[in-house]
Amino acid sequence: MSGTASTPGPSETLRLPKTLRAAELVAVLGDLGRRSGDGSVILDFRDVEEFDSSTLAFLGRLSECRPGVSAANVPEALARAEAAFAKRPDVCWPEKPAVPPPGTRSSRFFQARADRFLARVRALGLFLAMFGDEVFHIGRYLRRRRGVYPGETWNQMFFMGYLSFPIVCLLLFLVGVTISITSAEQLRIFGAEVYIADLVGYAMLRELVPLMTGVILAGKVGAAVTAELASMTVLEEVDALRTMGVVPEKFLMVPRLIAITLVVPLLVAMADVAGIFGGVVVARVTFGMLPSAFIDQMLNTVDWTDFAWGLVKTVVFGWAVVVGAGFKGLTVGRSAEEVGRATTESVVLSITMIIIIDCIFAFVLY
Amino acid sequence: MDIITARDLTVGYGRTEVLRGLAFAVPEGLITAVVGVSGSGKSTLLKTLAGLLPPLGGGFEFAGSPVDYRSEASLGRLYAKIGVLYQDGALLNGLSLYENVALPVRMHYPELPEAVVRDMVHAGLAQVEMAGSAEKFPSELSGGMRKRGALARALVLDPQVVFCDEPSSGLDPITSRLLDDLLLRLKESFKMTLVVVTHELRSIERVADRVLLLNDGGLRYSGEYGDLAASDDGFIRTFFLRKGHHDDA
Repeated sequence: MSGTASTPGPSETLRLPKTLRAAELVAVLGDLGRRSGDGSVILDFRDVEEFDSSTLAFLGRLSECRPGVSAANVPEALARAEAAFAKRPDVCWPEKPAVPPPGTRSSRFFQARADRFLARVRALGLFLAMFGDEVFHIGRYLRRRRGVYPGETWNQMFFMGYLSFPIVCLLLFLVGVTISITSAEQLRIFGAEVYIADLVGYAMLRELVPLMTGVILAGKVGAAVTAELASMTVLEEVDALRTMGVVPEKFLMVPRLIAITLVVPLLVAMADVAGIFGGVVVARVTFGMLPSAFIDQMLNTVDWTDFAWGLVKTVVFGWAVVVGAGFKGLTVGRSAEEVGRATTESVVLSITMIIIIDCIFAFVLY
Repeated sequence: MDIITARDLTVGYGRTEVLRGLAFAVPEGLITAVVGVSGSGKSTLLKTLAGLLPPLGGGFEFAGSPVDYRSEASLGRLYAKIGVLYQDGALLNGLSLYENVALPVRMHYPELPEAVVRDMVHAGLAQVEMAGSAEKFPSELSGGMRKRGALARALVLDPQVVFCDEPSSGLDPITSRLLDDLLLRLKESFKMTLVVVTHELRSIERVADRVLLLNDGGLRYSGEYGDLAASDDGFIRTFFLRKGHHDDA
C-alpha cells in the first residue's frame, strides 16, 4: 500500500498510505490539488507508520497547504514526532519578523545605482592607491632589500620571461606573416613592394609587438598572478603574512614587478626579431626580396627610438598587467568561485588598461 | 594582569555590525575560549584582535597600549607580539614547512645567520613534534600536521599571545585531542596566553580557563569556565550543558 494514496470515499476522507515520505506526500498533494469543489477533506493518518521530516512539516502546516483540509486518526508516534519537530526551530533559530526595505521602489533603484557607482569609484581609488604603494615598496626594497622572500624575483623572472618566450615569439612571428601577406597585395598594385620592409618594421617595433606582448602577458601572466594571489587570499595565507608583520603588497608584488621590468626588454627584443622575421619570410616568398635588402630598407625608416618606445610601452603594459592582476587577486572575497571571477576580471581589466594606455601613447608620440 | 582589554568594541564588515559594544579582558598566561554558534562573530572578533579588521567602534588595548588601526607602527607593534593559527593552517603552499616556519624570522631579522635561523626553526618544529617533516611541502601534510606546522610558525618568534581560529575543525577526535594537549603544554611550559576560537565543546572543556560566549550580536558571558555550571541562563545551559530552554522550566 506504500507509494500512493488510496482512493477517497464519498465521505471526503483520504486514507493515507503506510509509508508517507516526501515522494508519497507529493502524490497526496497532487491528489488534493486535482479535487474540485470547496468541501473539506479529512486526511486519515491511521495507517501511516513510516514518515520523515516532510511528513512532520506537512502535518504542522496542513491548513496552509490547502484550505479545508484537516487531519484525523494521527498515530501517537507521529503526533509526538510532530510536536517535537514544531518545537525545535523555536529553540535554535527564533524567527525574526521580516523588516520591509526602507524607501520607495524607485528610491531603492537609484540607491542601488548610486551604491554601485560609489563602489566603482572606491575600487578605482584603491587601485590607484595600490599602484602608488607598489612604487613606494619597490623604492624602499631597492634601498633596504628587506620584506621580500630571497630568490622569489628569479622564480618570477623564470615564469614570466622564460616560459613566455615561446608563445610570444610564435604569435609575433605569425602576426608578422599576417600583416605582410595582407599588405603585400596592396603594395604590389602600387608597385611599392619594397616598402613592405618599412611597413612591417615600423608597425612591429612601434605598435604590434608592444600591444600583442601586453595582451599575451595579460592572458598568461596576469591570469596566473590573480589566480595565485586570490587563492592565497581565500586560504588566509595573505592574512597570515600580515599577522607575521609581513606586508603582502610588498612581499608578493615587488618580486613580480621587478621581474616583469627585467624580462620585458628581452621579450620585446625577441618578439621584434620574430615579427620582422615573419615579414622577411613573406617578402622573400612573395616578392623574392633578399633578407639583407629587407633589413636595409627597414633601417631606412626605423631607428633605435622606435625600438625604445616599443620597449617603454611594453614595460608600462607589463606594470599595468601585474598591478591590475595583483589588485584583483588581493581584493577578492572569501569564496572559491570568486577566484575564477577575479581571474576573468583581471584579464579584462588588463587588456582594457593596455588599450587605453596605448591610445594615450598614440596621442603623445604621433 | 590582563593582556587584552576591550572597551565598547564594535566589530563587523563595511556597514554591517556583527558584534556591538563588547567589553572584556583576556588575562595573561591563560587560555581564553571564544565560543558561540556558527555566525555569531567569533572569527570576526579574532580578526579584529589580530589586527586584520578595523573595529567599527570602540577599541582595545594590547599589553597596556591602545591599538590604533590607522597607524602602521601601532599595528606593527601588535603583529610583533602575536602569532595566529588559522583555520586551515594557511601555510604558504610554494614553500616547504621549514621555509614556512623560517619566513617570519627571515622577514623580521634578515641579518641573523642561517645557522641561528635553522636552530630556531628546528626548535619550533620540535615543539609541535614535527621535526621530521621539515622538508615536506604543505600539500604533502595531513590536516593535523598542517595545523601543527602553522602553530610552529606562529610560535617561532615567541609571541606573547597566540590566537587560534578553530584549531580542532576538520580533525579527527584523536588529532584534535593531541592539538589540545599541545595548547595546554604551551600554556603550562611557556606561560603563553592563548585565545582559542572554537565551538567544540570537548575542546573547550579540556583547554579553556576562561570563556567569552558570543550570542545575538553581543557578549553573553565572560568569565571562568568553571563558573558556567552554576549559570541559570537558558542559552548557556543549552550551549554548554546540552540542556534546552524548556528543560529549565
